[in-house]
Amino acid sequence: MKRRTVLQAALAGAAALAVPHASRAQTSRKLSYLTWNIADQEQLFKEEFADFRSANPGVEIEWLDKKGTELPAFYQTQLVAGTAPDVVDLQGAIWVEYAANGGLLDLTPYLKKEPEVAKLFNPDYLASWQYQGKNYMLPFYIAKTLLYYNKTLFKEAELSAPPQTFDELLTYATKMAKGEKTGFLTLNFDWLYWPLFKMNGIELLTPDMKKAAFNTPQMATVLERLAKATDSGAINKISWTGRWVEPNGAFAGNTVGMLHAHSSSYFFVKGQGSWINENTLGVAQAPGYWATPTNHGFGISKSTKNPDLAWAFIKHVTGTKWATRFSQSRKLLTGNVAADRAGLEYLRKDDPLGAQVLQTQLEHTDKFTGNWPLPFDAQLKDAFYPEIQNAVLGRKSAKAALTDAERAVNRVLSRNT
Amino acid sequence: MAVVPAVAHRPPFLARKRTRQAVLVWCFLAPSLAIFLLYRIIPLLWNVALSFANWSPLRTMRWAGVDQYEEMLHDDVFWQALWNTLLFIASAPVGIVIALGLALLVSSEIRGRDIYRTIIFISYPLMTVAVAIIWRWLFDERVGLINYVARSFHLVDRPIQFLNSFVWALPSVIVANIWQMLGFYMIILLTGLQNIPPSLYEAAAIDGANARRRFWRITVPLLKPSLFLCIVIGMLNSFTSFDLVYVMTGGGPGRATELLVTYIYKLGFSQTRFDYAAAVTIVFFVLLVAIAWMANRLSGGNAGAVETD
Repeated sequence: MKRRTVLQAALAGAAALAVPHASRAQTSRKLSYLTWNIADQEQLFKEEFADFRSANPGVEIEWLDKKGTELPAFYQTQLVAGTAPDVVDLQGAIWVEYAANGGLLDLTPYLKKEPEVAKLFNPDYLASWQYQGKNYMLPFYIAKTLLYYNKTLFKEAELSAPPQTFDELLTYATKMAKGEKTGFLTLNFDWLYWPLFKMNGIELLTPDMKKAAFNTPQMATVLERLAKATDSGAINKISWTGRWVEPNGAFAGNTVGMLHAHSSSYFFVKGQGSWINENTLGVAQAPGYWATPTNHGFGISKSTKNPDLAWAFIKHVTGTKWATRFSQSRKLLTGNVAADRAGLEYLRKDDPLGAQVLQTQLEHTDKFTGNWPLPFDAQLKDAFYPEIQNAVLGRKSAKAALTDAERAVNRVLSRNT
Repeated sequence: MAVVPAVAHRPPFLARKRTRQAVLVWCFLAPSLAIFLLYRIIPLLWNVALSFANWSPLRTMRWAGVDQYEEMLHDDVFWQALWNTLLFIASAPVGIVIALGLALLVSSEIRGRDIYRTIIFISYPLMTVAVAIIWRWLFDERVGLINYVARSFHLVDRPIQFLNSFVWALPSVIVANIWQMLGFYMIILLTGLQNIPPSLYEAAAIDGANARRRFWRITVPLLKPSLFLCIVIGMLNSFTSFDLVYVMTGGGPGRATELLVTYIYKLGFSQTRFDYAAAVTIVFFVLLVAIAWMANRLSGGNAGAVETD
């Protein structure tokens, strides 16, 4: 009898635990907001949220911040579960995949209804988030590649100005390469190295983006020259093997003549390189003014239960008032024209060199490259870059590497189109 | 008057003692079994199904037959990752040999041997991420201790880009892995050494066997169970060294340190190709089972069995 009582009690307890919790009645005015590795702006965000709540009483805002390595995996699992954050901050081209597969809300109707919103932003940067004629994101913060150059090493090599062509770039790099010093370094994550090829007239894909177009004699020549320059030490090998920290760290070590990187690198390099000041560091556009954008934008998840509220929120945070505060706080550009103007003015007093760096981000924005709106961008990168790496590091001939790259890229394209 | 024998009355099913005992056992097993089913069996079956389909978190599932497995045949990265994984597994015996040497040293009558044991073992309980970060700094080209020492002793003219070199990256990661596992191997082998009766060595010494013969004829054969345990655990650890590789090199440069386990992660979470990642996982699983089966056969065939007299 006693054993039966214990069993019955245990079963009742297990059943009680197994009964699903009554779902919390979700506040119909709750907004979840996911950002990409920007937890340092907590104080600013708290003020933004308070301001938004004062204009939208009864709204609860739940803010989540994830590191770049964690966010995509987190967001995908939330999408599958149907509990994706209402507003999401996405970097680079990852948004295209979500947009193409119905994960993001098309913002075009909102922009058509409120045309004054689109007018706030730099049109070239805003157009970065268009896919099949629809706009899916608003700019949060923007950057593109530029050329930093070490004025001291330039002077030692008797060079007076930054290179204007690819030939000059390689020549200058060779002149500066002596002993431990190398002449040129580029970041290689995403498509940041692509301007080196674009400035030579090379296209990655055909205009219909259905086939590889890069396997040309010109591309082979460029690869051979890059390989030769890497082998001789004119180009630092970390250009092709390092990620973000190593190349920037190497430039901060005052042994590299030129760095091809985005504006965000400036603050990292400045923090590490005590040699950096207006007299020792120059900034310029890469030859041909070609640049790869690396932007962050705000999108709205399609699964949101409050699309209008989410839209109001992203308008709020990208609006001139808070974009200006953000630009000043984080020393970056937001894509909001008025905010960026104010941000630059502010920065000029505090860090004129930093302001010069950011100014380059607003110039020649009609020369973006390396930003194809393809849902399978990650697969394409993985198919293309390892072969380029093999070629520039001398592990394969340029011809063999291009053949293998073309095969791999065409495979990705045929699988996905 | 004839006596009518009483008809044996069998209690109802649920009232029987054996039934009640069985129900009790199942009640206690049920939670663990439920967790095992939910987190092991169902995901495994789902994984198998996914490997024959086209699916992503944002698309509905479609049957794909053996397309994903066919893709593997043409995937250079898969073969590179498989090769790297096999090399990683093959490095386990190197660590075991080093650990055996250390175990022999700390089992001898040297002063401070307890301290040495502690120092050697201390690497094992460390979090793998911490180990990876430590070794990343040690191998760093600009500020790493290894390059600093090498240059101080004029062993090299220029710093070696350990983790950015196609040649050095995988060996560097293997060194970090061996360092972490040394403590564990040493403890297992030390226990095995301490279970060898000293009388065997005495008898062998009396018979004229030198140290080398005693080692190969007594120590090694009697350490066989411990050695096999180390080999199996070492290989399984090598198979699943995701965190070490991910933090140290991310699988790079190129694919120089890509293992199957890191490749599967990237396929799923960077390229959103969960279907293809599932197929690679199945191959990974088959390889793991094959190695475990081989190890079991080599160690006598009944590893894990409860032996009764």
